[in-house]
Amino acid sequence: MGKTVLVVDDDPDVRLFSVTVLEEHGYTPLEAANGEEGLKMIKENKPDLIILDVLMPRQSGIRLYRELKTDKSLKNIQVIILSGIAKKTFLRSQKALTEFGGKEIPEPKTYLEKPVEPEVLAAAIEKALS
Amino acid sequence: MKIQKLLFVTKFEELGFDAVRSLLSLTKADLNHVVFINVIERDRFAMSRVGYRKDEEIRLREAANIRFIDWSESLFEQGLEVGVYIVVGTLVSEVIKAAKKEETDLIVIGRSHKGVLEHLYSGSDVTELLRRAATPVLLYKHLSETAISIDKPFDRPLLAIDWSPASLRAVEYLKGLGDVVSEISLVHVASEKDLKGTSAMEIQKTRKETRQKLEEICTIFETEGIDARAHVYIGDPDDEIEKAARDCQATMIVLGSSAKSAWVEKWLGSTPQKYAEESIYPTLLIPPAKV
Repeated sequence: MGKTVLVVDDDPDVRLFSVTVLEEHGYTPLEAANGEEGLKMIKENKPDLIILDVLMPRQSGIRLYRELKTDKSLKNIQVIILSGIAKKTFLRSQKALTEFGGKEIPEPKTYLEKPVEPEVLAAAIEKALS
Repeated sequence: MKIQKLLFVTKFEELGFDAVRSLLSLTKADLNHVVFINVIERDRFAMSRVGYRKDEEIRLREAANIRFIDWSESLFEQGLEVGVYIVVGTLVSEVIKAAKKEETDLIVIGRSHKGVLEHLYSGSDVTELLRRAATPVLLYKHLSETAISIDKPFDRPLLAIDWSPASLRAVEYLKGLGDVVSEISLVHVASEKDLKGTSAMEIQKTRKETRQKLEEICTIFETEGIDARAHVYIGDPDDEIEKAARDCQATMIVLGSSAKSAWVEKWLGSTPQKYAEESIYPTLLIPPAKV
């Protein structure tokens, strides 16, 4: 069985796109529709990689990423951010949260802005898991 | 009762990002999460002759998405949490559903723009929302609809007290906003029939008693560090509350919303409904606590 990748995105079309790319490359996809559901699935399944949207109901990718990176047992899970929100905004919001008393957390290694070509996503997944 | 999470309902025509910005003073209290919702009503793309127009739905969804991304970026950068719903359905049902799912503390919505006939037969979205929402609802008035400046709607609220459970619940709601509110005007409108007699002495007695009761509520606010002033007006609440808001230079009117049935609201109306629909002031309606 291939490595497990969790796709966290509220847009079912984006989830379908990512899941298709993952299956075509032999990975085992899991899906969650928002950050809250995503965190629950991460804790239950400990995926090898998370493809994470930012703007979602219930809990955003910004908060979920922060929760992951400040949790000892989860912080080493690889994350690819796949979002319509600019990387600059993501970094500024993390900085603001750090200034409000949060911990300093590392930047995401891979940040892809939507829409993304399937081969670009596949390459990013392969690189993150290598 | 704290306002930590608000649900901002927009069709983009009536409420824009300027309205969101004016509510950000609430971050000085407890606001840390803004959820946007745009409801695309089916009649925008489900045409009876052509059938279901999926391409039009996609176009409307993406237009809303692009706008929300832009708004969200600004809020994320200030450290706020942001969520978005773009849904196809009926406005009130989808708003209620999202408010429940997100457990929001406040719903912000613009004035209804239904036509006169549509309004008469089906009621307005706002009336329907007020009737069904368990969450306080802020009826925001667009800048073009009002002559008053509403940069900071929570700065000087006028709280109309009729001693109903909902209006007393409004006291609880507002007292947690000490860092946002600079002064609260507490107003009770005594109707002519409430006056205990016709002599000047008896009328003044009514005023004095009412004022004493209002002063007790002022003390509650002052304990929380909020300046509060009591005012008694005589007449029809449908007119006097707006007059009081003008006299007090209020930035918002706060009322307990009634628990009248939809039928009664539709045909007889109610003071909260009237202010929600007609006042030039942003109007915050607090529903009674659910039993």
